Amino acid sequence: MINHWMFKCKDISHLISRSMDQKLPLRIRIGIKFHLMMCNLCLRYKKQLELIHKAISKLDTDKEEIFPVTQLPDQTKEKIKKNLENH
Amino acid sequence: MSHPSTWVDTYGDYLYSFALYRVQDNATAQDLVQDTLLGALKSKKNFKGQSSEKTWLTSILKYKIIDFIRKKYREPLLENFDLESTALDDHFDAMGKWKTGPAKWASDPEQLLEQKSFLDIVKKCLQKLPKKQAGVLALRELEGETTQTICKVFNISTTNCWVILHRARSLMRKCIEINWLKKRE
Repeated sequence: MINHWMFKCKDISHLISRSMDQKLPLRIRIGIKFHLMMCNLCLRYKKQLELIHKAISKLDTDKEEIFPVTQLPDQTKEKIKKNLENH
Repeated sequence: MSHPSTWVDTYGDYLYSFALYRVQDNATAQDLVQDTLLGALKSKKNFKGQSSEKTWLTSILKYKIIDFIRKKYREPLLENFDLESTALDDHFDAMGKWKTGPAKWASDPEQLLEQKSFLDIVKKCLQKLPKKQAGVLALRELEGETTQTICKVFNISTTNCWVILHRARSLMRKCIEINWLKKRE
């Protein structure tokens, strides 16, 4: 009976991600909590996703750091400059 | 405010890289930079100096990018996303239980956030994500957009959006794990 409404690890991994984007219904939140109390691997998964979220926001303090800077071609620069002058 | 004629040299590369990462097309990214600067010139008087010039220009660029993506993806993207990815299912057995499960990264995971080598791996993994997943994840985690907005921008269902975010996070996790553990060996 209990097994009937209990989540599998596979479902939990999806629901953990979803809980980061949306407030889940109480019944589901309880189901997740219950599962995490008994499942160390899913608990670790959850903590790692939270850590990744924090790490990404930390990178955000300087966006240029995250994505390598590509030079705007000189030709385009000149073209844009000209267009700016003409406006 | 600096003179508009200096904008291209001061912010051109930054704005271009910012756009390039999100639209993945050189010509489009260049057009977006031009539209942004021309738009900025027109709305110059709206710049109140509450934010830096760079932040102001970036916010105009963001608006242009969202507009561009919205037009481009007017057709649903569904077929482009491999929703039934075997890669993800690989982690679980037929009963839906972990096969090996996530590995332990550190005795004190919070402390990883202070390590540059760890953050470098996070950065590299973000750059390696499949581009569309990276786009959705960036809007969510970097820009802090709600899933509702992301759905609208990419014209996808909410369910599809959640699946994409789930896949992106799962891939990030796997990528970080492989690279981080390898580094520690």
